[in-house]
Amino acid sequence: MNPKRMLRTFTVGAGFTLLFAFTQAHQQGGNAKIKMPYKKAGLNTRQAAAHLLSRFSFGARPGEVDALAAMGLEEWLEQQLAGGLNDSAANERLKSMNTLQLSNETIANTYLTPPQVLRLAVRNKLVVRDSVKGQDKPEYREQIRQLMVQQGLKPFVELQTQLINQKIIRAAYGANQLHEVLTDFWFNHFNVSLTKPQCQQFILTFERDAIRPNVTGNFKDMLVATAKHPAMLEYLDNASSISDNNALAKNPRRIQQQQNLNKALEARMGDSSMKNNAIAQQLVNAKRVQGLNENYAREVMELHTLGVDGGYTQKDVTEVARALTGWAVKPLLDDGPGKRLLDKTNLDQMQKRGFVLENDFIFRADKHDEGEKWILGKRFDGKGGYQEGMEVLDMLSRQKATAKFISKKLATRFVSDQPSDALVQKMADRFLKTDGNIKEVLITMVESVEFWQTDALREKIKSPFELVISAVRSTNADLKQPFQVFNWCSRMGQRFYYYQAPTGFPDKASFWINTGSLLNRMNFGLAFATGKIPGISINLLALNQNHEPESAEAALKTYSQLLLPERNQEENIKRLTAMLADKSVADKIEAASAKHPGEASMEETDAMSTNKNLNNRQQQKNDRNAMNRKDKPFTMAYQNGNNNTVSQVAGVIIGSPEFQRK
Amino acid sequence: MIHRRAFMKSGALALFATGFGGLPNFIASAASGQKILQPYKKNKVMVCIFQRGAMDGLMAVSPYADPNLKILRPGLYMSPLEKEGGLFNLDDHFGLHPAMASLQPFFADKRMAIVHGVGSPNNTRSHFDAQDYMEAGTPFNKGTASGWLNRVAGLMGHDATPFRAVSLTNALPRSFYGDNEALAISNLQDFAIQMRNNPMAGKTVSQSFEDLYDQTSSSLLNKTGKESFDAMKMLNVNELKNYQPAKDVVYPQTALGNSLKQIAVLIKMQVGLELAFAESGGWDTHVNQGTTNGAFARNLKDFSDSIAAFWKDLSAYQDEVTVMTMTEFGRTAHQNGTGGTDHGRASCLFVLGNDVQGGKVYQNIKSLAKEDLEDKRDLPVSTDFRAVFSNVAQSHLKLQNSKGLFPDWNGKPLDLMRG
Repeated sequence: MNPKRMLRTFTVGAGFTLLFAFTQAHQQGGNAKIKMPYKKAGLNTRQAAAHLLSRFSFGARPGEVDALAAMGLEEWLEQQLAGGLNDSAANERLKSMNTLQLSNETIANTYLTPPQVLRLAVRNKLVVRDSVKGQDKPEYREQIRQLMVQQGLKPFVELQTQLINQKIIRAAYGANQLHEVLTDFWFNHFNVSLTKPQCQQFILTFERDAIRPNVTGNFKDMLVATAKHPAMLEYLDNASSISDNNALAKNPRRIQQQQNLNKALEARMGDSSMKNNAIAQQLVNAKRVQGLNENYAREVMELHTLGVDGGYTQKDVTEVARALTGWAVKPLLDDGPGKRLLDKTNLDQMQKRGFVLENDFIFRADKHDEGEKWILGKRFDGKGGYQEGMEVLDMLSRQKATAKFISKKLATRFVSDQPSDALVQKMADRFLKTDGNIKEVLITMVESVEFWQTDALREKIKSPFELVISAVRSTNADLKQPFQVFNWCSRMGQRFYYYQAPTGFPDKASFWINTGSLLNRMNFGLAFATGKIPGISINLLALNQNHEPESAEAALKTYSQLLLPERNQEENIKRLTAMLADKSVADKIEAASAKHPGEASMEETDAMSTNKNLNNRQQQKNDRNAMNRKDKPFTMAYQNGNNNTVSQVAGVIIGSPEFQRK
Repeated sequence: MIHRRAFMKSGALALFATGFGGLPNFIASAASGQKILQPYKKNKVMVCIFQRGAMDGLMAVSPYADPNLKILRPGLYMSPLEKEGGLFNLDDHFGLHPAMASLQPFFADKRMAIVHGVGSPNNTRSHFDAQDYMEAGTPFNKGTASGWLNRVAGLMGHDATPFRAVSLTNALPRSFYGDNEALAISNLQDFAIQMRNNPMAGKTVSQSFEDLYDQTSSSLLNKTGKESFDAMKMLNVNELKNYQPAKDVVYPQTALGNSLKQIAVLIKMQVGLELAFAESGGWDTHVNQGTTNGAFARNLKDFSDSIAAFWKDLSAYQDEVTVMTMTEFGRTAHQNGTGGTDHGRASCLFVLGNDVQGGKVYQNIKSLAKEDLEDKRDLPVSTDFRAVFSNVAQSHLKLQNSKGLFPDWNGKPLDLMRG
């Protein structure tokens, strides 16, 4: 660790300590205890505990409803808001992941994206730039692999896998569940995406440094942290939005310098040895393209703060973009010209000229528009430099429209897809009164009777991620290969970290539930509970103290209560049992299978041979006939084949409509 | 919708007659369902492709003869004069981007029309708002609950199979929101309840699920559950697995290529598809757009090659199908400071089909001179998207009327379809 980085780490650490101390003090400072009016809404303590867990965690684990009711809901919520619980269970599973604490700089220089790998190969003459076709050849791949090992480089996919896995692990096993839920929420609010090559290396640190530390803190802090983070600067193109409307750019000496540099560069480019130099190419490209880009300016108002009806105009968008010119990413590449330049530069001198360097953010005073601007009716004289952008963000974070937009989004996530205006207004008022203190806004929400009313209970539909993680939590499943969760979420419509649009995933039931995705939810339930997902193991009998239910009906009852605590499932159980025990249904299935032996299921493709398949099927049919004779219709249906009754019952429960709700 | 219940009941019986899917049973059930379209009758199908991110219409179909273009976009300008990589000259004013070589022959033989200067009267430059408005079909009313394609379904005047309206996406697009049944699936092969190595248990489990979803108090889960099971029973997963496109047809291995291939399968399986929806992404070219090569060209080539492959694959079904593309808005007339273009106003769209009066660029564009641009920066909208959508839908799908298709719109439909 170099001394500069050490210093920075120390500073950040100190910041945390301070923040922590402040939070503690704030709590001890006679903050009135949270009062949750669930009794007023007609809920008993256990029902309220189940509801709270369904919204403020990724699902109740076995026994957790009772634990919560015993410790007191208020106490639990205080703990969750503070987020300081020992996280050893999750940490134990995270400890083999070696990328989670890396800096942007290390990542950018170590975890090479495919274009960077190609450049490396070109530099080392493993491929000629113009014939990149050879890349699929195994010998090329082996050569490049060896080269990367030698130089201590790694493929980006390793980082990406750990990014995805850490989210899954923390959601499933993290003790500070509310912080995990909020990290998911705020990341989606300030969405950045792995689909964009320019920002993909920085997604991990974005979540870690810009989102996670701020999830219950001050909204403005999070807004600023995201605005300055390389991932956001690249994702919404602000890093390349620049202006030459400033004194530095107009300084004749500087123009001369620039021209000399360009000439030298062009001369070198003329030299054939430089033609293939990717860095030089980039520099030339970078020179060619310069100007204003409105992308971030628009989304920061439309999606991050005011909301689309928040009362801003196209003119405001352009003016905010101008105010944020020069906000960019500090040069990170070791062999890049920017870094070499920066290393040679006297930092004090830079600061005197208005440059700001903060972690991986740089304010380039020489690229900032120093003209006058009017934003939301307020005049900026253009002399503020870096502070001007900070003032704009501060102003945006304090708008009434922002308070309302953020409150509505929180209420939509935690209460219902259509939260009442009254609730949103209460939360927005609190937001304004506390300068955007997220924790206070959340407390206002749970202190409102709307949070507990029956029309809010079970009304939210779980996202695919919430579905899978709640299944893992409710069964104490062991995720040996967490990446499997990602594959299933993708099939069900939530390829997290890959949502391309800056909106993030829409938070409403109709987005998640449609014909195709619903079948996949049912298939997930079955595959999960019958142990067919590689790398995920569950022990359903252990959940029931290793006691096997004596009948199918008993299994349904027992596992409905275990997997869906405090839900009234009587009607479902009754009807399901009746249907499963209906001999006529069994007969129809029997008749159908006899008539159409070839139909079977698509899963047969992975069986070994057709013959074997036919034999299996015959065997199953015999079994079934035998069962039929014993007249045990339910077990007949569920016990033949490889899967036992309990896992199939659990699969049906996890795929059932009730389990999709939270 | 009158006979939907009846159909679903017979559909449920079909499960027990053939297990999953199987066309023979569907035919039987359809025949008993009276007004349902006969499955062996070829349906008219409208395929909509949404280019999300706002395609640069001025680059896809470039008004190269307008002298302003070269001044506005010195780094992005192309002309037909260059020997290789130049535009296809369409009418001495517009040129087609060279990456669209695979669709150019359809313009030449008058089966493909281009509408230029098309867009929404609402001047929002937010992707998400503009997509929302376009898909709802009400540019000044966000509260419209239904999507325009869903309303098309409602105007068809006959009952539907579960596959009438299909989107090859993970999530249902806004265009399909509404009361008429529509389904979204990105991979048709996922369309079954799967119990690995245990198909019989799979069937029982499937029945259990169907019953549970039938009872649930959540109306969304209830309705979607019904639609899922109806559809599942109709789709023969085995036929999907073994699908071979027509001779010499190769679909690009891309999201759009894959979506269009599956739409071709549904059309050929004759499961009652009438409205299909697919998406193409990556059009938000703020940075380094490129010209003959580069990000835009690559994307446009995929777009073009996917549609061309689909069209050829349809072979005997070409008479029944019209393809229409759309994008939420166009991009700035001038290039921006980063070798790309920012959010603008009008763009262009493509309509392909044997009923199309093609070989023509339909347009009312004045010029790219500053005084003719909107806000002095963007190609203004001179053709309302609803004028195109209503003409294509009503004419191709033979709608009796288009009442309510685009509420609050009294404009005149374009006349680009035959008959």
